[in-house]
Amino acid sequence: MSEAILEVNEVTKTFGGLVAVNQVTMHVERRRIFAVIGPNGAGKTTFFNLVTGIYKPDTGSIVFDGEAITGRDPAVIAAKGMARTFQNIRLFGSMSALENVMVARHVHTKTSYADALLHTPRYHREEQRARDRAMELLAYMQLDHRAQELAKNLPYGEQRRLEIARALALEPKLLLLDEPAAGMNPQETEDLQRRIVGIRDDLGITIVLIEHDMKLVMSISERIAVLDYGKKILEGTPEEVQNDPRVIEAYLGPGAAEGVQ
Amino acid sequence: MLEVLIQLLPSVLLEGLILGFVYAMIALGYTMVYGVLELINFAHSEIFMSGAVAGAETFILLKAAVPNPFILLALAILIGGAVAAIVAILVERLAYRPLRRRGTTNRLVPLITAIGASFFLQDLVRLIEGLWHNAFYRRYPSFEVFEATYTLPNLLGSVIILLTLWIVFWVLAYFAYWIYRAATGTKGVSRRASRGLWIASLVLTLLVAVIDRGTVFGDLGLTIQMKSILVVVISFAMLYGLNWLVHKTKLGIAIRAVAQDAQTASLMGIDPDVIITYTFLIGGFLGGVAGVLFGLLYTLVHPYVGFIPGIKAFTAAVLGGIGNITGAALGGLVLGMLEMLGGTYLTFLTNGAMGTEYKDILAFAILIFILLFRPQGIMGEQVGEKV
Repeated sequence: MSEAILEVNEVTKTFGGLVAVNQVTMHVERRRIFAVIGPNGAGKTTFFNLVTGIYKPDTGSIVFDGEAITGRDPAVIAAKGMARTFQNIRLFGSMSALENVMVARHVHTKTSYADALLHTPRYHREEQRARDRAMELLAYMQLDHRAQELAKNLPYGEQRRLEIARALALEPKLLLLDEPAAGMNPQETEDLQRRIVGIRDDLGITIVLIEHDMKLVMSISERIAVLDYGKKILEGTPEEVQNDPRVIEAYLGPGAAEGVQ
Repeated sequence: MLEVLIQLLPSVLLEGLILGFVYAMIALGYTMVYGVLELINFAHSEIFMSGAVAGAETFILLKAAVPNPFILLALAILIGGAVAAIVAILVERLAYRPLRRRGTTNRLVPLITAIGASFFLQDLVRLIEGLWHNAFYRRYPSFEVFEATYTLPNLLGSVIILLTLWIVFWVLAYFAYWIYRAATGTKGVSRRASRGLWIASLVLTLLVAVIDRGTVFGDLGLTIQMKSILVVVISFAMLYGLNWLVHKTKLGIAIRAVAQDAQTASLMGIDPDVIITYTFLIGGFLGGVAGVLFGLLYTLVHPYVGFIPGIKAFTAAVLGGIGNITGAALGGLVLGMLEMLGGTYLTFLTNGAMGTEYKDILAFAILIFILLFRPQGIMGEQVGEKV
């Protein structure tokens, strides 16, 4: 078992003439909190879509948990233990919070459809287990009182938490969070920060997050990669990234670094 | 004349209910496939037909070997449903999936493919039947137990009459009030006004009941055939089973997840292709069972028998809100009743100028009307929300 849970090697993805992700290499070690930052349009979400299998890379390879997953279908990759949340919340709006979580239990429920049709004892046992586990996860994200509510009727902050609960139901080894703090107030962000660290510490899940909230990124990440125009311009610890003039230039334009210093 | 109209009401509605259940079962196939693929599967009428024909063959082949008609019917339903499910899955695999793989974004392409598959299946079944029997019209054998007629209590008829009158009066009153509101420049009907309309129409109903008590509470002679009872019981059981499957099992949750957002579902480890196959299996099975029940009711089946019931069931699915499972069942029942009401009463209302044969016009007029004024259907309140 190698140290890195995710190895992305020289991956490139182009859309027409636009190089969205350009020769990006990134190794994420187990049980780390790893952040991907960069200005808007830097290719961060495209990078997530490549890792989760929504897009197939033009060149390069991706290894997850020691297994090559380049070009595999999203469902296969997800079943191997990679879960994600979305920048723009993508819950199943007209399903209850509980059902949203149970969707992600699908791969872990072992009943056949014949069992379900015949109401065998195994079906009842498995169904009950899936339900219990889903309720546990809702409770873990403090959403258990909302279990029967339709996802679309939940307030924004709870929808964000529900997305994380749903991702956790997959029992992932790696959790990708796409701008989890977007649209949150400072209290909610602080709460989220504690939860992310908790998920890593309690459940031993590696976390990769895309985030614009620098306070959050700098306080919880152990390593940070910076993308700009599809290229990885830098990778290092929060201190290294904070003090690098290239990062300031990427965000504010060339020459801006001198002005700051 | 009014007395005749009222007297006929219970039996007409009962017939409408029976037909409506058959439509509902076919409509579910359209609506489920639309839910996951956003495709109108026009080959579904032929999936229904293949179930009807397979059921007829089962009846004819096993008639001698299986003396009990009820067991025979159960076998025909299983085989008809299974054949239709297999045909549905094959159509998906061979016609629709290759197009999806190719990433065709033009919605017209799968639609034309569906129509092509429909013609192909019609003539394929005709070929098979022709080679096998040298004839492609097949007749369901009749059994005395299925044809037996039972008389229902008069009270049931009276209750049906009163409820129907109440609903009809309410619809008319609501419609009139709505037009009045629109004419005076305001829109919609308030909750209080709506309650008032309910009560007013109830009073009107009771008034009619008192004035015309001789007819309403008289000897209505309401009868039902054994085979109609079977159709209602079997389809109700199937609809109930489907409802349970979609809402209570993990397969159902997965189907709804794929229908709402296939990509997100795949990121949760659900393979959309597997779920699509199951959707065609379930929709095809229901369609096939509906085919057998249709054959039981109308006896004659042939390779082209699917077209009209198929298009009417499609109308029912649109009426209920395409993609909405409850809506499809409701749309089927409503359409069946309206068709029977129209078919019976058109003759009276036009003094015999327009007969029962115009009932199809009524069904398709409803389709046009719905598409013009409420394309999202009865149940489809939010556009974009499916299954």
